[in-house]
Amino acid sequence: MTLRHKNLVAIGGGIAALALVLSGCGGPTTNDATGDPSTGPSGSTDTLTPIMGGTVTVGWNEPLKSMNYMSANGHATANYVILYMMRSNWAYYDADLNFVRNTEFGEMIVESEDPLTIRQTINPAAKWSDGTPLDGADLLLEWAARSGVFNDADTGDIEKDDDGVVVGVAEGKVYFDAGDPAVALIKDTPTISADGKAVTFVYSKPFPDWQFNFVDYPLPAHVIGKRALGISDPIEAQAAVAKAIQENDKDALAKIAYEWSFGFDLKSMPTGEDVELVVSCGPMVMSDYVEGQYVTLKKNPEYTWGEEAKVDEIIVRYNEDAMGQVQALENGEVDIILQQVTADVLAAVQAIEGMESRSGYEGTYEHVDLTYDNGGPFDPATYGGDAEKAKKVRQAFLKTIPRQKIVDTIIKPTQPDAEPRNSYNLVPGSPTYAATSAANGYAAYADVDIEGAKALLAEAGVTSPQVRFLYGKSNSRRAQEYQLIYESATQAGFEMIDAGSDEWGLKLGGGTYDASLFGWQSTSTAVFEPAANFVTGGQNNYGGFSNARVDELYGELETETDPARQEAINLEVEQILLDDGFGITIFQFPSVLAWNAQRVTNVSMTPIAGTMFWNFWQWQVLG
Amino acid sequence: MLAFIARRIAIGVVVLLGATFIVFMMVAIAANPLAELRASNDPNKEFLIARTTDLLDLDMPPVLRYFKWLGNLAAYLWGHGTFGTSIVDNQAVSAQLVVAVPTTLKLVFGSVILAILLGVTVGIVTALRQYSSFDYMTTFFTFLFYSLPAFWVAVLLKQFGAIRFNDFLADPKIPPWVVALVSVIVGGVAAMIAGGRARTRVGIGGVATAATAAVMIYVSATGFLLRPGLGIVGVTLTGVGVAFALTALNTGLGNRRALLASLSTVAAGAALYIPIQYAFLYASWPVLLGLWATSAGVGIVAGMAWGGDDKRVSGRTAALTGVVMSVFVFADRLMQAWPAYVGHSRVRGRPIGTIGAVTPELEGTFWLGVTDTLTHLILPTTALVLITFASYTRYTRASMLEVMNADYIRTARAKGLNERTVVVRHAFRNALIPLATVIPIDIALVFGGAIITERIFAWRGMGTMFIVALREGDIYGVMGYFVITAALAIAANIVADLIYAGLDPRIRVNA
Repeated sequence: MTLRHKNLVAIGGGIAALALVLSGCGGPTTNDATGDPSTGPSGSTDTLTPIMGGTVTVGWNEPLKSMNYMSANGHATANYVILYMMRSNWAYYDADLNFVRNTEFGEMIVESEDPLTIRQTINPAAKWSDGTPLDGADLLLEWAARSGVFNDADTGDIEKDDDGVVVGVAEGKVYFDAGDPAVALIKDTPTISADGKAVTFVYSKPFPDWQFNFVDYPLPAHVIGKRALGISDPIEAQAAVAKAIQENDKDALAKIAYEWSFGFDLKSMPTGEDVELVVSCGPMVMSDYVEGQYVTLKKNPEYTWGEEAKVDEIIVRYNEDAMGQVQALENGEVDIILQQVTADVLAAVQAIEGMESRSGYEGTYEHVDLTYDNGGPFDPATYGGDAEKAKKVRQAFLKTIPRQKIVDTIIKPTQPDAEPRNSYNLVPGSPTYAATSAANGYAAYADVDIEGAKALLAEAGVTSPQVRFLYGKSNSRRAQEYQLIYESATQAGFEMIDAGSDEWGLKLGGGTYDASLFGWQSTSTAVFEPAANFVTGGQNNYGGFSNARVDELYGELETETDPARQEAINLEVEQILLDDGFGITIFQFPSVLAWNAQRVTNVSMTPIAGTMFWNFWQWQVLG
Repeated sequence: MLAFIARRIAIGVVVLLGATFIVFMMVAIAANPLAELRASNDPNKEFLIARTTDLLDLDMPPVLRYFKWLGNLAAYLWGHGTFGTSIVDNQAVSAQLVVAVPTTLKLVFGSVILAILLGVTVGIVTALRQYSSFDYMTTFFTFLFYSLPAFWVAVLLKQFGAIRFNDFLADPKIPPWVVALVSVIVGGVAAMIAGGRARTRVGIGGVATAATAAVMIYVSATGFLLRPGLGIVGVTLTGVGVAFALTALNTGLGNRRALLASLSTVAAGAALYIPIQYAFLYASWPVLLGLWATSAGVGIVAGMAWGGDDKRVSGRTAALTGVVMSVFVFADRLMQAWPAYVGHSRVRGRPIGTIGAVTPELEGTFWLGVTDTLTHLILPTTALVLITFASYTRYTRASMLEVMNADYIRTARAKGLNERTVVVRHAFRNALIPLATVIPIDIALVFGGAIITERIFAWRGMGTMFIVALREGDIYGVMGYFVITAALAIAANIVADLIYAGLDPRIRVNA
């Protein structure tokens, strides 16, 4: 061994010895976890019982982007579901689509039928999470915004910055970025009671769906007053907003309108003073929002005017990928997910141990509509104005649509108990669906009737009518539906022409097709809302359908407030539509709700509005 | 030189204009921002349609809209340009980019570094062992990974890397058959790489098998995965190993001064281990970067102190040792935080995440936060590395083979240089030149191409921005994404050309 080697060995030995000595003395004691006390993974699963408190984590696909659901930009379900937990409401939809009133918070009373006068009251104990009491000014502002009564700015008056974002409106011009024809029916400024806890709305004409207006508590007027008018005292700010509306103070309203329209858009938790943008008057308050990642809601300790949440914290995590959500559920990162069903997603959910899943409906439904006014096979003009002849061709075509087969082949693999939707206007499972679907004539269309269709065509004396069929070409589900319709209709003698296109949305109403297949989305159970699909010249009446009796019925419904009569009118409308061969509905889009049965209980869903969040106050953690 | 750069930039601008025009037209024709609204029953649908039409100028022909958009963008040249407003969230596209770009950088950065390190290493080894079973095996696997679809890799990684691994952590006992299998595979690979005579290879394979088995049994028996840690002993021993390995590669173990300088650095690191633990209480990224730089500095000082003819080589080797050792000290500190992290009530014993960049509402020290970031980065990074590193191995292998057959390598061998010097000094450096031109372009591609990975792992970066914008027919969002990625790709090409010219004296750019 050379000298150098000895040196090396000595140094190495020295280091080793030093290391051994030093390893005896530790570094600083560390406790890296703060906040919640740490606990290991709990092993036992046999004694799970619902407990109070705890955290539920929910998976959702699209991030929150505005605290104002009613503005043009904020009008998205992703915003609604978060606001649903941060607002008091006068009513909500339960799992069976009953419209349940929350009288603990307040009442909506019909004071008079003519003119239709609605008085909405607010529980006097109710207040915002910053301590400011709820006040009629909030409702007054909401009316001012959505009615459009004060809007006097046209496009030229709206100033945009370099990025095209609206930064202001010409001096004294008012622009609320919203529009709602239902609210616009209230033309007179609503009156606020002396104590500020009741607001009276007077409709300019009777309106059947009044109960769906102003159901969720709106934006905080005091925050808008503070931000738009620079008044620091919240009560004074509230009063100033009410005064500006009552006195039609254009200068103040211009600022208020801007704040209302654009001030509440956000993509992460506001800081400093801006935290007032997320004040809550509901069961939960927002404590954190990390852009694109998650929103954290904590239980509002002050909330006593309605159902109180049983959990302490609800975290909504965002992830767009359906399979990603299923795997996050399996990995314990989320406890509840709601997904559009595909065979993959369903198989994956069912394969996970310890999960429960339930199939349900979304608000969207598939339907075929026929065109009356394009010179095609369903247009009376084609037969020299022979309306009866055209009607027989329409009926024959509808008879060939294989509704049950479409449901069996396309929907049942993902939703075994699926059934065709048998009503134009009612969501399956809603209170009046069963009675209406039994009586509206859909029973005659339960099965494909090729012979009947042939007979009708023969009666009409029409041979092999050509039908241009429009659908979303790249949508594989719709392409499959078209294939089934094609096979069936061809048998009856129709000559089907594939008019499928990815531009179907733009082609609607253009008259370039004779039949169309797409989905409508129901956003409420309001009875008058579907009128736009069926009345002559209606906004969504793409097929040029026109029927005097239907127009008359909707004319009556427009001012009818008795629910029994409303139901009867709707039934008659549906009977006429089917008899006239307007079109036919096929199925409701299926969805699947899945949750970790080892972690949470009392989970359910409703097709519209609150979706799986509708009963968040009933969610309980198992421990 | 300047003329060359100017010409390339001018061409780049023309390419960018042409590309943006084509993409703008394609999006304008293909995507329909009104489609969803048309099929909506919303009572205020007409208002919403009018608003979107106004915002996107849908009443103008696409060509005019392109020039309007371009004009707004070009206005950046005099300071008040705009990318337009997104109809997805009513925000300026520039505001979306400000968030999306850093997110993607965070996601892509680690994977690019890892893919390059891994790809170059494997490429060199396969070149040196050309036509060996290791070479064939590597070729097979790299092409396999290269051809796998990203979404499928991601789903598998989540299933096995996160869900199953987290299940396994509840009771981290490695079954004997797994120990046996993995050890034999590692030993086999080691034997394949080793080269030389059969006896040597069997010996090396045997040692590798035994060592792997020992480590796995230790990990399994001591519950290392739940309470990991190197401690001062582990850090020091690893440091000594690193010192020997780096010296062997850099200068050869015959260079005693370099070895001693590296070992001195390790000794200094060991002596400072406990003080550093206190410094770690106040850890933040600047502090850590400072410590890192200090450890490199210690190495350089040690190299100078041991003196000799090639102080600089000693200093470089010792500095590298210091840097690597400080990484181990850092890893050791993270390991100390691991039990607290795994047991945290927000993590509930399932540390590896499948979605998002963070665990919501996790409260804790800097170290807990870093651990949390890493547990969320590990899967997407692995996915990106698997998909991208194949190309690096192929490039490196090809270029290394070409260099090894060059005349100057034969000359180097002929003048009696040892194999290490030939490979590391003469071959390796020259083999890297072609790679230097590939890497910038590759980075640009990964930056714009992590769309699927981002989406599946719920990272809201450039890819998500693009997908969401395209789906909603938000043409300005798509163009915002495209301008950034296209400009990056064009810039990367120019940079690659310049790097090549800088590295290879045979290339002149002013020709």
